[in-house]
Amino acid sequence: MANERGANLTITEEFAEKVKRANFMDRVMRVAPIMVLAVLILVFSCVCGFHVFLAPSNLVAILKQLAIPLCVAMGLTYVIMIGSIDLSINGVVGMTGSLAGVFVANEVNNLNLGLFGIALAILSGVAVGLLIGLVHVYLRAPSFMVSLSFMYVCQGIARLSYHSRILKITDKTMLWASGASFLGIPFITWMALIMFILCLLIQEYTAFGRHVYAVGTNEAIPRAVGVNVNWVKVRVFMLAGLMSGVAGVLGAIRLGIGQVSIGDNQMFPAQAAVVIGGTALAGGKGGVQRTLIGVLIMTILKNGLLMCNVSPYITDGVQGLIILLCVILTCEHGKTVISK
Amino acid sequence: MSEKTAKQRFFKREHLMRYISLVSIVVLATAFNLMQPNFFGRMNVSSMLRDDAALLVMAVGMTSVLMFGSIDLSMGAMCSVSNVLYVRIILLYADKFKAAGIEEPNVGGVMALSMAACLLVGLCSGFMLGLIHVKLKVPSFITSLGFMSVWTSVAYLISNKAESIPRMMKGASDWYKNSILGGWIPVPLIIALALAIGFYLLQSRTVFGRTISSIGGNERAARVAGMGVDRTKIIIFTLAGMCAALGGVFLASKIKSSDPTLGDPYTLMIVASCVLGGTSLSGGRGSCLGTILGALTVIIIKNGLTFIGVDAYWQDVVFGLFVLVMIVLSIDRSKSTRGIAVK
Amino acid sequence: MEERKPLFTAKDITKSFSGTQALKGVDLEVYPGEIVGLVGENGAGKSTLLKIIIGAQPQTSGTMTMHGAPYAPKNPMDGNHAGIGMVFQEQSLIVNLNVAQNIFFGHEDRYRRHGFINWKQMNADAEQVLANCDITNIPVRKKVFDLNFATRQMVEIAKVVNVAHRDDGKSCLILLDEPTSVLNEEEVQTLFRQMRKLAARGHGVVFVSHRLDEVLEISDRIYVYKDGMSMGNMETKSATEAILYEKMVGRNSSNEYYQLDKQIAPKEAVVLEVKNLSKFGVFKDISFKLHHGEILGLCGVVGSGKEEICSVLCGDESPTGGELLLDGKPIRLSSPEKARKAGILMIPKERLYEGIVGILSVEDNIALSNLARLKSGPSVSPKKITAQATQWIDTMNIKTNGPKALIMSLSGGNQQKVVFSRAMASGCDIIILNHPTRGVDVGAREEIYTLIREIVANGKSVILLGDTLDECIGMSSRVIVLQDGRITAEFDASVDNKPSQVDVVSHMM
Repeated sequence: MANERGANLTITEEFAEKVKRANFMDRVMRVAPIMVLAVLILVFSCVCGFHVFLAPSNLVAILKQLAIPLCVAMGLTYVIMIGSIDLSINGVVGMTGSLAGVFVANEVNNLNLGLFGIALAILSGVAVGLLIGLVHVYLRAPSFMVSLSFMYVCQGIARLSYHSRILKITDKTMLWASGASFLGIPFITWMALIMFILCLLIQEYTAFGRHVYAVGTNEAIPRAVGVNVNWVKVRVFMLAGLMSGVAGVLGAIRLGIGQVSIGDNQMFPAQAAVVIGGTALAGGKGGVQRTLIGVLIMTILKNGLLMCNVSPYITDGVQGLIILLCVILTCEHGKTVISK
Repeated sequence: MSEKTAKQRFFKREHLMRYISLVSIVVLATAFNLMQPNFFGRMNVSSMLRDDAALLVMAVGMTSVLMFGSIDLSMGAMCSVSNVLYVRIILLYADKFKAAGIEEPNVGGVMALSMAACLLVGLCSGFMLGLIHVKLKVPSFITSLGFMSVWTSVAYLISNKAESIPRMMKGASDWYKNSILGGWIPVPLIIALALAIGFYLLQSRTVFGRTISSIGGNERAARVAGMGVDRTKIIIFTLAGMCAALGGVFLASKIKSSDPTLGDPYTLMIVASCVLGGTSLSGGRGSCLGTILGALTVIIIKNGLTFIGVDAYWQDVVFGLFVLVMIVLSIDRSKSTRGIAVK
Repeated sequence: MEERKPLFTAKDITKSFSGTQALKGVDLEVYPGEIVGLVGENGAGKSTLLKIIIGAQPQTSGTMTMHGAPYAPKNPMDGNHAGIGMVFQEQSLIVNLNVAQNIFFGHEDRYRRHGFINWKQMNADAEQVLANCDITNIPVRKKVFDLNFATRQMVEIAKVVNVAHRDDGKSCLILLDEPTSVLNEEEVQTLFRQMRKLAARGHGVVFVSHRLDEVLEISDRIYVYKDGMSMGNMETKSATEAILYEKMVGRNSSNEYYQLDKQIAPKEAVVLEVKNLSKFGVFKDISFKLHHGEILGLCGVVGSGKEEICSVLCGDESPTGGELLLDGKPIRLSSPEKARKAGILMIPKERLYEGIVGILSVEDNIALSNLARLKSGPSVSPKKITAQATQWIDTMNIKTNGPKALIMSLSGGNQQKVVFSRAMASGCDIIILNHPTRGVDVGAREEIYTLIREIVANGKSVILLGDTLDECIGMSSRVIVLQDGRITAEFDASVDNKPSQVDVVSHMM
């Protein structure tokens, strides 16, 4: 028997070869985003001139533009890592941004809850996340449909909250935060970086973070060792709601007003950033550190194109193409996988 | 045994959605009529039906897509593109005619040309979407999400502000106002109904249509049985793209102007119409006749809420929640989860 | 000699899945420090038994004990608590986590400090766990993704030993379900060394493999299963491959069962010729000819490539090399639709998953493959669909409330007959039968055999992947044996020249 197996080794070898190739591709995909980032910086520096593109003022501008997409994309990263998707982002960010405006001191109402109001606004985002998670997990409705419905609900709530009288924020803390910077980096960027570290800690240093990977890889594995998979999923959506909430508040700080349009056009850059960073839509792979690269790519792309006087609408369309391209490159073209 | 009862439950659920639609049409219409007696006036009814026509043409396209278990989230954006493109081309010709000093131009020709251009764009979009989804095995919701982003920005690129159809070209929108039966039934609705019935016949009477429902029921089995799964899916996506484009033209004609964001809210309204018409998001079941009912329900709710003076902002909330409930009700949880996890 | 107490016992375990009995009363005893091999054909019930022992599936009847105490797990966690761990066929590691995190997956709570996990402590413990299993040279901080299959298997074993390890120091039982299928020769040896180390520490090991030589090499005692029954066990010392084959195969089946009197000799004409067909990493250089009116059996264990060959033949997958000649003309089958139009159709293995469309009626399911021929004018004629279904229900003796009944209301056997009706109505001349009797009760099985005989009598040709070896040999007029993606033997199986199962099996393993 032994000699026969020896003669047939080729199939096993072929199989090993196949695995090796897959591993190689994966390694390439892992470093690809960083390469893309480097190339982008180089290209824009050459096209716009080093002294223009890499000027301190532009770098600060990039950092400022980075803050909100980073927050949103990190929440989304978790959702995508469990293999679901969250389309409610525009709505939730708009809602929390508007509510932040409503709750703090503003020119219209006298609520003035101060920091507590900000916390309340963020909590409303968490609540929406909780609802999306519960409906998705326990009523078994597809997450993209549930979150799409909630986008409309949240946009409605946002508009209701200020009733077409756009709220100019007069809260001192928030006004201060919009202009403040530390070490040359704007306050909202600091906030986003703190959230980034928090997300990274959760991802790397908690059991929950590890379970997220497992749920995305194969739900059966964590279920077999007694992990409450449903609850992991709900918590992921809550975390995404929290991050959208923070993004909404940062948006309100940045614009100085509470308005639903804070959330406009947040979702696509976030989706693009997550997939370009290398978090697979199939789940189980990726991480917020990769998303940071993705967000940097998207922000620099946007900033660079703007500096080259390219229409912002083209930039938006490029996002869609990037999403498509990344998904096509990374999705597993398995035969038996039925993609709906 | 459990399989059988599950089956029975499912059938009930399918009808349930249509009952809900019928009952809500009757109840809402009565209620709105009581609150605002001229709800059933000719003006409002024909206005509603004109809204319905635009929604229906798009929902008809989506019904077929949902029936095999996929979804096209880019329809709203496609509708916007075709909407601005239609008006843009008409404006282009209006300028040309003006420059040439022609007072009474051939509006019909221009209209046909721009409509053809819109449909062509819709066709290409749907075809590419189908091709990527089927051949590269990328889930349709994410593929169409990418397309949604692309088309949204294309709409802005064509025209980044609202534009009106000029007076000299008003024939390009006037046709939409025509109606028959004493002004009650608008012409566009007739077209939409004809389209719906055409799709219905396609679905129920042809090999092609039966392939659609077989794919929805069990894609793998349909494939192994030697049905043209890939081809069918691509054709349906193409048709859906054209439906979305046609919807954009309808809307442009209705409001006599264009708006690059016009289609955004329609994505959810389209899905809602299909679900209310008894089409299941899990695939396999549904019919375009049901969608006629579903689209009417959606329009009555939207129009009625406005008509009785409900805050426009509340409408978003109510409508979003309403769709959510309908979707949750329509999900077929008895279907074997094998192969398809709820993502 | 001191009487040894068994570590684990299972008595009279039975298991039935909707209608079919996978296990008909099997026994298993494992002593501490012993490596027990389980051998048997596909479907003999080895994997089912292991799943019952770990608690992934409940048994229908029968009792088990562990450490002498009654043991009735409700889920794999109960199994782990009792000291039983299993390495599943499908790898159950999470490739994007590192070794330590995988070993302690689901048990992170004990490392939680201030809400965060103390990875340092966990890594140290993971190293300890690996050391306890005498596994060295695995960096605990490395992602599983970067490890090769053999190393992954070591990690899996360490993980299993860790979860099964009890605080009171009692020994545990480790179940290995075909761990060698993805390993090469060297890696297999590493695995075996590991298993011996575990046994030396007093743990019990149960080892399932398709490769008899491996079982003979590693195990102390061997159980032979056949058709869900134990065929006895023996010390490895007294076992040889020949004895094991004999036991696995058991009695010879009766000729009437497979209706040999109806077996016809195939004609000379070749309908399908396969030349050097290959699929990278799956099978290689497959060549054979299918004759007119022939039943060609493909035999091989799971993973031998026979299923994939069928997928390629019916157009579901594309090969990476070689060619197909249909009636002497080269043909490319890019989809099952093309294959159907060319005259090749498969009756799939998983009926519910790929055979029937559950939401449709019987008549619609029968008409799936030949709708284009049931038209009147441009539209499909419901009348013709019903007429066709009525006819087949009659010929096939399908028990249903009529052609409009839902397919899901039928029993498994009758559903399978519907699938057969579809294949026969499709007008295809070559029919690939992929486990046609899977999940079908005995009575219906016999009817299906009659059907297969009728199919060939009508001038069609069949490629058969039997549910059992017995079936494959009994029904076929020629048998091709595959091992590891290559053809290892070909037997003539005409009525009075059937090869013995022992001969065939010896080329499979």
